[in-house]
Amino acid sequence: MKMDFGYMIKILPGFISVLPLTLVVILCSGLFGFLLSVLVTGIRIKRVKIFSPLMELYISFTRSTPILLQMLLVYYGLPVVLSLIGININNWSGTLFAIATLVLHNGAFLSEILRPAYLAVDEGQKEAADSLGFTSFQKLTRIVFPQVLPVALPGLGNALIYLIQDTSILFIIGVVDIMGTANNLISNDFGSRQIDVFLTVALIYWAISYMADKFIKYFERKTARYHLENGLTR
Amino acid sequence: MFESNIFFQDFSGILTVVPYTLGLALLILILGILIGGILTLIDQYKIPFLFQVAAVCLSFLRGTPLLVQLYLAYYGMPKLILFFAGLLNFKFDPNQFDPVITVIVSYSICFSAFQSEIIRGAFMSVSYGQIEAAHSLGFSSVQTLRRIVIPQAIIEALPNFLNSYLTIIKSLSLAFMVSVVDILAKAKLESALNFRYLESFAAAAAVYWLLCAMLTVVFRRYEQNIRKKA
Repeated sequence: MKMDFGYMIKILPGFISVLPLTLVVILCSGLFGFLLSVLVTGIRIKRVKIFSPLMELYISFTRSTPILLQMLLVYYGLPVVLSLIGININNWSGTLFAIATLVLHNGAFLSEILRPAYLAVDEGQKEAADSLGFTSFQKLTRIVFPQVLPVALPGLGNALIYLIQDTSILFIIGVVDIMGTANNLISNDFGSRQIDVFLTVALIYWAISYMADKFIKYFERKTARYHLENGLTR
Repeated sequence: MFESNIFFQDFSGILTVVPYTLGLALLILILGILIGGILTLIDQYKIPFLFQVAAVCLSFLRGTPLLVQLYLAYYGMPKLILFFAGLLNFKFDPNQFDPVITVIVSYSICFSAFQSEIIRGAFMSVSYGQIEAAHSLGFSSVQTLRRIVIPQAIIEALPNFLNSYLTIIKSLSLAFMVSVVDILAKAKLESALNFRYLESFAAAAAVYWLLCAMLTVVFRRYEQNIRKKA
């Protein structure tokens, strides 16, 4: 049992070159997932008829099945479903399926963070905004949103870390990201240096998660002033 | 397109591995809580040296994907055991090493990071005044922990433990990578016979969904019960 640090440094450039792909997947699925979750949260809070129970069903499904299964269902199921309405996506790459899965997953997952954060804003504040003649858009952007942010941020930060770690399964549908590169390296070597390769992968993921964590902490400090508990009054 | 008889055939096939998955997840949860408890104690009493080591380990466990940890354990553990077996003049054949043990060890360690966070939060919820009160009444430290702190902390921690039980069940789907057969792995094996992937994955999804729904109801009942008693 010995490590080969020279080998680990030698394979590092290969991983760095696929890092942009991983980051694009994380950014796209994080951003669109967040937008979807805002929509889902809106539907649930406003109790839109028919859609609201559907969203409950969607969230319950997403929360009770593993992400790997969701990815396989999207990979094998989405082309079948879309072919029923005449859209052909058989030439989609694995990356697009991966992003689609992560967007759908995060749409439900983040909504479970946003909804309690929205409900945590005192009802009186919304009424006060109404009585001061704020339009509902102003009420949302000036009163509700700044207060939702500090409550939701720790949860959103956790979700970002989970999202980063969830990208480790994308190689199963043929995306050549960090793990995909690792598997290629191992098959080139006839499986003699798995520990070195996966240790490198672990260190790369550790670095990404660490930076994401610092980024979120920075935001948390920035938005702390909106928090009523440590606002101007105390 | 979607053949329902294959779906039901896969569904009943998958049901046979449900008890095994539940048992494996329970074992991992218990081991995770034990290791997590030790980590919490190290963190709370700030034991020198061990404290810093634990902090780095926790950061690593939280910062790397479970799948990577699983692979590291899968390839690393037999070699590690072989090394120690060599030191102790003890016979060990890495080819006969059961991957289930890898899964149990790596999952317990990975989830201990999350359990330690839960346990820490639960201990924090017991106010320090109660511990002082117990000391002033002449309770020893062990008595305080056993009679005052733990009964209150358990009520706080239990819902979170049950939640991580569900998380572990879902995470076991990755164990297929090291040839341990859980719910999703069974679905894959079923589909390998007839190439009906969609049906078998849908069946697996149905099993997971039902399982989680039932467990959630049972857990909620149980939680209400112990909250009423407390």
